Amino acid sequence: MYLWSIETLTLRARLLHCMSESSVDGEAVKHVAELARIELDDEDVAEFAEQFDEILSYFDALDEVPAVDSETELVNVMRPDEVESSLSQVEALANAEETEDGYFKGPTVS
Amino acid sequence: MTAQAVEQRELAVVIGLEVHVQLETATKIFCGCSTRAAEDEEPNSRTCPVCLGLPGALPVLNEGAVEAAVKIGKALSADIPEQTTFHRKNYYYPDLPKNFQLTQYDAPICANGSIEISVEGTRREIGITRAHLEEDPGSLQHKGGSIDTADYTLINYNRAGTPLVEIVTEPDFRSPAETRAFLAKLEEVLEYLGVFDPTRDGSLRVDANISLVDADAIDADGGISADALESANRTEVKNISSHKGAEKALAYEVTRQRNAIQRGRAVEQETRHWDESRGITVSMRSKEEEKDYRYFREADIPPLAVSDWKERIPIPELPDARRDRFQTEYGLDAESASKLTSTKEVADFFEDVAESFDPDLAATWVADNLLGELNYRDMAITDVADRLDEFTRLIELVDAEEVTTKNAEEIVLRSMLDDGDDPDTIIDREGLGKADDDEIVGFVEAAIDENPDAVEDYHDGEDGALNFLVGQVMQKSRGSADPGTANQVLREQLDG
Repeated sequence: MYLWSIETLTLRARLLHCMSESSVDGEAVKHVAELARIELDDEDVAEFAEQFDEILSYFDALDEVPAVDSETELVNVMRPDEVESSLSQVEALANAEETEDGYFKGPTVS
Repeated sequence: MTAQAVEQRELAVVIGLEVHVQLETATKIFCGCSTRAAEDEEPNSRTCPVCLGLPGALPVLNEGAVEAAVKIGKALSADIPEQTTFHRKNYYYPDLPKNFQLTQYDAPICANGSIEISVEGTRREIGITRAHLEEDPGSLQHKGGSIDTADYTLINYNRAGTPLVEIVTEPDFRSPAETRAFLAKLEEVLEYLGVFDPTRDGSLRVDANISLVDADAIDADGGISADALESANRTEVKNISSHKGAEKALAYEVTRQRNAIQRGRAVEQETRHWDESRGITVSMRSKEEEKDYRYFREADIPPLAVSDWKERIPIPELPDARRDRFQTEYGLDAESASKLTSTKEVADFFEDVAESFDPDLAATWVADNLLGELNYRDMAITDVADRLDEFTRLIELVDAEEVTTKNAEEIVLRSMLDDGDDPDTIIDREGLGKADDDEIVGFVEAAIDENPDAVEDYHDGEDGALNFLVGQVMQKSRGSADPGTANQVLREQLDG
């Protein structure tokens, strides 16, 4: 868990750094939405900017956490190169909303 | 700078490559699904919760993929760092079921290597910045049109999770021809290591970064200053899938950039797509910048500490070393040595044959006859891998003079490849066993009886007559007579 927190903080630091100010503006929200391929209207953008700010402020709580010992990290966790059984096509597609001829079907991409 | 001044500039080409290589493992990089596509396999029939990115699935690294990466590192004279880690590269595109790709970021498994290439007699050392392990995405089909005009997308995750090594070079190439030589060399080395199968579709994929700089920014060794590199706009060319494709795509791009600069226009820094069928590069809509990938450590894959594997895992003698050794050990010329080391299978077979027979005979039979006939049929030695003992047998029959060289080359070898028979069967069937002396006497007597004019010419001292009669004997024996013996017996009969 310790490791995870460090990563999250780093992520936040990067996000803040790239916006070069402490509050989330509309441009940052639009950029993140574009990366996630989500369409937002201006109202959504304002709402999310506020929520992003709030969420990020939760992480300030971590600054209060005293240093803790991390668990010893595992190394070299590997498996032998041996074939195991796969799912059937029917099983693989079971949760898909749309399929065609054994394929997952989705919207156009570019 | 005015357009006039720009035209005077002498420009030099700077290219760096990113090469994606599919590793020849039995299973995918993070799960036990097979990497081998059966003929006409069904889509989405080789997947599991890990490579489908289902919630809660735990990826576990394939030891075979790590071994292959270490072998590649050794062959590239690279460092294997004390610790190497895995990261998530986040982007939303349906070829990744998880919306991130498991890859390596700031601690790749190989760093600081090099490969030496030779182009038109000039040796160049190409620096390898890094090589890292990652998973291959799935494959997409754009239905009802091209990528821009399609109605919808079909997705097959059978390929998702196939282990890749991405090899990144320094910007050390000074011409498209050098990239082609490098890719051929790299493929040869990877094949020798047994970690790569070039016959697999899409097993080698290349992206290239290319820019043009002032020629005087390049020093005598072909080096370039960081400043000069930084100040030139570069394009990244994607979708290159072969050595030849790399040379063509980059030659096109050199011309395109040169034209832009000579007309006083700036080269746009952008990603371009190589359209193989049209032979041009086209601008792609600009993708994410590196920071947009939001790389972070993959907490499910603990770090690797495998620097000691470099000592533990052996690699075979590499092509360059073997080529040199073939010349000194077997006294071969450079061309034969090069042919005989073109693949590991050919080199191994040659050495096997050369152990029992004269190296010159072995070289002629393997490099010229066997490879020549295979090549003519668009085959490789791997297509006859289980019949190599039959080819050894044929060489043995030639060596023991059980069959003439001419018949062995022109009839037996060709029939072996075309009809799939073994050499003894063919020699029996075609009656090609070397004629014994009694048989030759019979052929000689027949030739003399049937050609009284030639006999007369011989006695009149005409040089060509004897050769003609030898030819008749050879024809009657269907090539199985030894020409020297035929010559000798003829003289005895004619003079006696």
